[in-house]
Amino acid sequence: MIALPSIAFEGFSGSAKGVTARRVGGRNILSVKAWPTGPTTNAQVARRTSMSKISKSWKLLTNEQMREWDRLAEHASSASVLGQKTEISGMNLYIRLNVNRAMAGEALLSTAPESNVAVPNVVFTQVAVTPDLVVLGGVQHEPSPLKLVVKMSASQSAGVSNGWSKTVIITPGMEDDWGEADVTELYLKTIGVEPVVGQKVFIEAYWLDTSTGFAGIECRETVIVTGDAPYQRRVKATMNNLDPTEESHVSELDVDFSTGAPVAQFNAQCLGHSNVASSEVYLDQQLPAGIVGTGMAIGRSNDDAGHINAQSYLVYMYNRNGKSQLTFAHRGGTYYTHTEVFGTGIIY
Amino acid sequence: MFNSISNNFGAPQIQFKDYQAPNYVVLNGKVTFDPTNAAYQACDQLEITVPDLTIDRSTIGGVFVRFVETQHYSWGDSIYDGGTVLKSWIKDKNTIVVEKQPWFDQNGPLILYFVTMYAQLNQGANTIKGAKQRLTVTSEDNYLRFSSDTFIVVFDHWVFMHLQFSSCAYAHRDSPWEATFEELPADIMADVPVPGGGNQFHQDCFGMGECHLENKIFTMDRRVAGFWDTGREPFAFAFLVREGEGSIQTDTD
Repeated sequence: MIALPSIAFEGFSGSAKGVTARRVGGRNILSVKAWPTGPTTNAQVARRTSMSKISKSWKLLTNEQMREWDRLAEHASSASVLGQKTEISGMNLYIRLNVNRAMAGEALLSTAPESNVAVPNVVFTQVAVTPDLVVLGGVQHEPSPLKLVVKMSASQSAGVSNGWSKTVIITPGMEDDWGEADVTELYLKTIGVEPVVGQKVFIEAYWLDTSTGFAGIECRETVIVTGDAPYQRRVKATMNNLDPTEESHVSELDVDFSTGAPVAQFNAQCLGHSNVASSEVYLDQQLPAGIVGTGMAIGRSNDDAGHINAQSYLVYMYNRNGKSQLTFAHRGGTYYTHTEVFGTGIIY
Repeated sequence: MFNSISNNFGAPQIQFKDYQAPNYVVLNGKVTFDPTNAAYQACDQLEITVPDLTIDRSTIGGVFVRFVETQHYSWGDSIYDGGTVLKSWIKDKNTIVVEKQPWFDQNGPLILYFVTMYAQLNQGANTIKGAKQRLTVTSEDNYLRFSSDTFIVVFDHWVFMHLQFSSCAYAHRDSPWEATFEELPADIMADVPVPGGGNQFHQDCFGMGECHLENKIFTMDRRVAGFWDTGREPFAFAFLVREGEGSIQTDTD
């Protein structure tokens, strides 16, 4: 793409014979007409539909609202592909911010945000991409309303040095999970195939302020897909770890042992069974021997009858035949089958 | 030890006994507030502003809420105190949050008990197992008994304690209780909620009392009328800061 200073092209715009001319921020720009490099994804279709609706909604704003967007646009800037700051109109800013918000599941913002507050850059310390794991680790947490947007490419030849145009949005706005952004499932869902060992994946990540729609600067990283990653996954027991061949008695489960403290974090919706004051959970693999023991956690009844009484639960853990069993055994308080066991619980 | 700076639910200043490691915080405190006050009515969640904590967010911990209720009869008074456990977390370095539930808004004043550990996740290390110690409870003529699930896990700066009441000699059922917890460190001093026990007027939450621990001595003067009702299993669940703590620590326990 080239920016021409010549007055000869003043007012010239449109596409002809593979060349597109346009005038942006007082500059004339000629570029080779861009063609899509891959099949259109569902997310792209949704985004284009959203953009079309948002564009049309501009005309529904009041004059005062439009003036506010123009006012905000005067203070906002848009980076051109040449890295230079160019002007942006109120309407384009309205569309851009609302498309971002729509992507994150937020409603249309008719009134312009008060101001353009700087969005921080994404900082992370680890990237691991294997056929089974796609994760950013050591993500420096930013509180709500900031959400993390991750764009990734399908596996490219290791010799490709510029594959940024091939990235698509993997997650339109997620919260890091205690410094971890595990997008393994989202990657597979969006790209359709697992990362290929030995090939290169392009990754872009930025924070999106979902309250305003403003986005931070993209952080770019390339990584060669490996068979195994040195990344150490947190030890957790979740619904995804349940052994499908066994009957478990929970409707929610998230027990996290990554505290580095003498407690685990419990979150289980126990359902009880067979007139026994306990709920069993069977995992499809063993827990590390170092953490297997007995836990004690607090619980609160939450059945349909409206019971809300406090209870205490012993949590027995066993490793057997390559699998683990957790038993949430009622101890204190009045037992009801439907109980939420939650909070920090000692392990001994 | 530190004092809260402010709160959004009309409670007085709260004094917290604390142990603060780089990756977790244990807090003990007790405060009474009136749920009919305008600030409480207006808030979506209870927020307590405090001086800088060592951690800037936490997972969920449990904070107990209790109301006190006495019914007067011709034959005497009966106690129907109740309560439950609420979710609580550290929102940022200066804010402790307790979930707001409407369950006891008509039963005020309400007492909040912080006997709570706030932890963090993805800390680069797994849970560290502690060592359980059975509590030996001695009382006059052994009138007060606890089940085998009554134990403590002792650390340098704090203690986890679980009590499960078992039985009481008939002659002492209505008198103040006093017992010695032999293995409990003498530097524990706290008011600890005791959930459980029957409560005929509050069948949703049942009973909740309070015991006091000081210098290994357990005392409990006020108990719900249905304390020993079958299946109501009075208990205590508490993370307790040892006396002399309160400074911010640089190493984990």
